[in-house]
Amino acid sequence: MIEPFTVPFMGRALTEIALLALICGPISVFVFVRRLSFVSDALTHTVFPGVVVGFVAGGMDGLFTGALVAGVLTAVVLTVLTRSARLTDDAATAVVLTAMFSIGVILVSRRTSYTSDLTAFLFGRLLTVTPRQISETAVLAAVILIALAIGARALTFRAFDPAGAAAAGLRIGRLDLWLNILLALVVVAAVRAVGTILVVALLVVPAAAARMVTDRLVPMAVAGTGLVLAAGYFGLLLSWTASLRYGVALTSASAVVLMLVLAYVLLLPLRRWRDRAFTGRPSPHELVG
Amino acid sequence: MATAALRLTGVSVGYSGTPVVTGVDLELRPGQRLALVGPNGAGKSTLIKAVLGLAAILEGTATVLDRTPARARALTGYVPQTGNLDPDFPVSVRQVVMMGRYRQLGWWRPARAADRRAVAEALDRVGLADRAGHRFGLLSGGQRQRVLLARAIAAQPRLLLLDEPFNGVDAVSQEAIVRVLRELSAAGAALVLSTHDLAVARDLADLVCLINGRQWAVGTPAETLTAKPLRQTYGSSAIDLADGRMVLVEP
Repeated sequence: MIEPFTVPFMGRALTEIALLALICGPISVFVFVRRLSFVSDALTHTVFPGVVVGFVAGGMDGLFTGALVAGVLTAVVLTVLTRSARLTDDAATAVVLTAMFSIGVILVSRRTSYTSDLTAFLFGRLLTVTPRQISETAVLAAVILIALAIGARALTFRAFDPAGAAAAGLRIGRLDLWLNILLALVVVAAVRAVGTILVVALLVVPAAAARMVTDRLVPMAVAGTGLVLAAGYFGLLLSWTASLRYGVALTSASAVVLMLVLAYVLLLPLRRWRDRAFTGRPSPHELVG
Repeated sequence: MATAALRLTGVSVGYSGTPVVTGVDLELRPGQRLALVGPNGAGKSTLIKAVLGLAAILEGTATVLDRTPARARALTGYVPQTGNLDPDFPVSVRQVVMMGRYRQLGWWRPARAADRRAVAEALDRVGLADRAGHRFGLLSGGQRQRVLLARAIAAQPRLLLLDEPFNGVDAVSQEAIVRVLRELSAAGAALVLSTHDLAVARDLADLVCLINGRQWAVGTPAETLTAKPLRQTYGSSAIDLADGRMVLVEP
């Protein structure tokens, strides 16, 4: 079970996933309580054109800068749109998402060898993560965790009771911008490893799955991190075994996400049982899906 | 001499330049209880938001504890309607009440013994000390409203604003809330609460302000909860009983 990870590229892949787990557990709690799944999805798509432009301009290193610029820009645009314009959150998000994603596709399709590039952007290259990428992820992870720790109290208050938080003097607009930028940074940190499509799973699933086992915020973050770690380990192991033993080509990032979703599905009955045990009825969230 | 806790002079409030309530003139002294009475959509919540500095004052002047509304926020408390909050939110009763201490705590100073004591005392006052560890959403509507009141108390406000505190609240919780509100005003806090329950206004308030798009009357319950101003405020849903009492029929 340990042996595959003694191979350098597998060890690096696991290290990268471990760093992502550290940030995805806590940030996904805020995605969950603020119901920002769709915003996270939009961010992952809008980072896409940035990734392409960055890659065209400066290869794999330019990709990072491109994603960073596009991510932060989207975070600002989304925050401004949902606050000032009289659009619902969903409409504004959908407009930004589709516009940016189509720009990305146009940019990619203008490149000659676009098919292989496209899959790399969309699904990431977890097994070719370099030591330099790992240190960049580590720096981003540190920045994100510190910013999240500073804002956690205010962000929780705002998520629970926006009117009460505003009445207590918190600036709701700034807090929303804060969280959206942090989300964008997580996407940037994860996008090279798992790609723009799969990164949304890391933002949404950990807390959603952790909510099945606990209804406290900090334990949710810890459990979410643990789940990503476990999914990373078993996903990498699965893709290694599948390709080496059985000759089945299974993208490693996909295998990791698959494990994460599997954990969610396996934990579902536990939530139902807990709700019945506590209240004798299912929660309204599950009644509406 | 004590200055006014709240003074509104010719005030119009609204959003994006569109007035919701106009012509509000009233003065509330420390220790007094003001009921904002009017039908749904009358602008009671908007007026409360304006006093908190969260809705625009389009005309007139508003003074809260001798400051502008936004500057007075550190001294005011707010109890929102519990129905607006997500019952599935993963947060304990104790954590909700601790939010009342966040202003004192700042961004990340850990809670000290004094903060924990204030939280425990506030929960004790609303009669929910034994529920501190429960998840907020598992309490009844009335109990949740009492938790939100405890959160406001924990911040020790000098002016407390409550948005429909008795909506969907059971009798036990209503009694507990009324008792705490009386204690708070006896200790010198000024209270503003919105309600469409005339009995609550009559029993609890020193001052009643009838509003529906504009201020129709302000004064003691005896002066304001009478046929003419109620008919002006509520239109045809105010029905005059033969013995001079009024009832409201919800449209």
